[in-house]
Amino acid sequence: MGQVFQFAINGLMSGAIYALIALGIVAVYKATRVVNFAHGYVIMMGAYFYYTFAVLLPASDWFPDLTYAPDWLATAKAEAPMFSPAAAYLSWLENLPRIAFGLIAAIIAASLLARVIERFFMRPLLGQSQFAMIMITVGLISVLSGVKSMIWTGDAASVPYLAPNPAIRFEVFGSPVFIFGANLASMVIAIAIFGAIVLWLRRSAAGVAMRAASEDQSTAYSMGISVPQVFARAWVLAAATGAVAGAILAARDGISPSLGLFGFSVLAIVLMGGLDSFVGVFIAAMCVGVLEALVQWQLGGDWVEVTPYIAVLIVILIRPHGLMGSEEVERI
Amino acid sequence: MKHTSLTRRGLLGSAAAGAATLAMPTVLRAQPSEYIIGASLPLTGPFATAGQLIAPALSLFESMVNGEGGIDGTNIRFVVEDSGYVPANALANYQRLLASEGSNLVAYYGDSTGFMQLVGPELKGDQARMMTSTSFATELANPETHPYQFMSGPTYADQFDILLQDIAAKGGKTVAFIHSNTEFGTDPIAHGQARAAELGIEVVLIESTKAQGADIPTHVTKLAQANPDYCILQGYVTGVWPQLIGGARQFGLQTKFMGTFWGMEKLIADRVTAEAGPFLEGYQGVMPYRYSYDMEDAPRLQQISEISKVALAGTPLENYMPTWGIQAFASLELLTIALRRAAEAGKDLSVADNVAEQVAGIQDVDLGGYYGTNISMENNKVGVGRVYEYSAETNLFTPTSDWLTA
Repeated sequence: MGQVFQFAINGLMSGAIYALIALGIVAVYKATRVVNFAHGYVIMMGAYFYYTFAVLLPASDWFPDLTYAPDWLATAKAEAPMFSPAAAYLSWLENLPRIAFGLIAAIIAASLLARVIERFFMRPLLGQSQFAMIMITVGLISVLSGVKSMIWTGDAASVPYLAPNPAIRFEVFGSPVFIFGANLASMVIAIAIFGAIVLWLRRSAAGVAMRAASEDQSTAYSMGISVPQVFARAWVLAAATGAVAGAILAARDGISPSLGLFGFSVLAIVLMGGLDSFVGVFIAAMCVGVLEALVQWQLGGDWVEVTPYIAVLIVILIRPHGLMGSEEVERI
Repeated sequence: MKHTSLTRRGLLGSAAAGAATLAMPTVLRAQPSEYIIGASLPLTGPFATAGQLIAPALSLFESMVNGEGGIDGTNIRFVVEDSGYVPANALANYQRLLASEGSNLVAYYGDSTGFMQLVGPELKGDQARMMTSTSFATELANPETHPYQFMSGPTYADQFDILLQDIAAKGGKTVAFIHSNTEFGTDPIAHGQARAAELGIEVVLIESTKAQGADIPTHVTKLAQANPDYCILQGYVTGVWPQLIGGARQFGLQTKFMGTFWGMEKLIADRVTAEAGPFLEGYQGVMPYRYSYDMEDAPRLQQISEISKVALAGTPLENYMPTWGIQAFASLELLTIALRRAAEAGKDLSVADNVAEQVAGIQDVDLGGYYGTNISMENNKVGVGRVYEYSAETNLFTPTSDWLTA
């Protein structure tokens, strides 16, 4: 039972990151009725922006030193046993300036990238078929992948965690349970961002405008809503949350081009939860996260990659519009 | 009127002259102005770093061999093309070079197991050339199925064998295998299980992960539950293995981690140490060659060091040749021995059988210090290796075992 709890909590921590990624796909879909197949690659770009601003730039000779290293911290760090919780907190504190700079700069850079994508690739297709816009997002996968290869190498690398990473140990039903502190904190961050944005979209004027544009663009125009601005806002929201998710993923698993592939498994989660339902997608993300962890535990890694797709197939066979999706949603 | 008559002597003379004329192209083919050795390297794509580190090694090797008189007095020249780590691209590179250079092309350096598998069935008749590559895939070390492909080190299965011998010698009782879910990752697992059983070591976990972007917490959790004395990591190059070790150390696991050739590069270990701290302290693994800084009684490594200081001044390779470059040097050194022996025997070097015969005949050779022992070619491989350990303080891998044979 303790082991089930162990892998369930691992799965929930993954699921929260999936939910944060899925938020971007659903936001763009709700505003524009476009399924963004390139969202994983937007996240990959966000992760590489974080890597650039938190690791590469601070390591440059010409860039200001972003390390917080007062004497007391250096002394405390030297005295703390390696891999102890104290060492983890002190190390995080030392890196905090570059973590904060990296994350903020990554969010800004990803948002600018989203504005460029929306302005030059998506907006010219306003009024055209949704299929054409979806195909543009498919093309964006190659474009973003190519841009990444031109700027960064394909080597995997490490980036600092957003939160301190002490090992947390306790027992459940007599079985030892281990949790990475940074992953627990990342889960909290992801859920908090997810919840805050969903509330904002539901209660703010911007959220209402987004829903209106989604229902009928012409009517939204006639009601004084700037539809292009709504589209841009949705893309920026997706890219900004994607940058946070990318930074979390890169810190957890290392940064590599494979981060782009996360988008596809999360797309399956979105279809499973319902394309236009934040709540449905959140539940689906958590379920898939736990399912993957349990499959990894019992069946091994070879089965994990197909798990989200098998899960979505089963759910769609039973509920064609996903767990909580609207029935009028057109399938792609 | 003068009569001309065809005498028997005249006829034989004319026939001889005609035969000599017809044979001339063959003679000319056998002595080209230079021998071409082709190479496909991943100069772009996911393993661009590896390709860009190997390319200078080929250039240095070319100047070294030509400075020693080339092959039977004929210089060699490398033709290096980018594969992007796509086997089909490397195959196209090979076929294009074969078409343009013909019999001047005498050998080829491949960039991956995938390429060696893809090109294998194509190596027939005049389309075949002797090949070596970056791969240590177990299936390639088989002269019956891959007669024209060899490797300058032990296969991945052999590398597991060497590590398991070392674990047994150090009193290890339990081991875990963590590998990527690629052919590269799964290659030695079955052999490792069998060998561990023979040595009395219990395999307590076999864990498959993604090659990149693996779910580190879940894998570390499983490792923590198995809690082995040793864990061998296989099928990774720059990613996953450092995160796994970092996670395990964070959890306080005392498991000793080991890697195989592609997880043993000092540049990667140094970078991980600089970025994430000294958690690779004590990391061990098998290496078929000596590190380039281990130059005592190694004239070839000393020569490489001297040339690198000049030819690669201002680059990261000025003072250190990566293991991936040393692999290329050792492989090409063996190839050159075979080509020289074939040339001395008057054989056509563009006939792969001629070179393959000489490769198989390399026995008890001192290669100049790439290895710490004399080596022999058996089943198209060199089955020796040594266990090294990394120090995060000195940033060096140092040996912890003698040279072991699989």
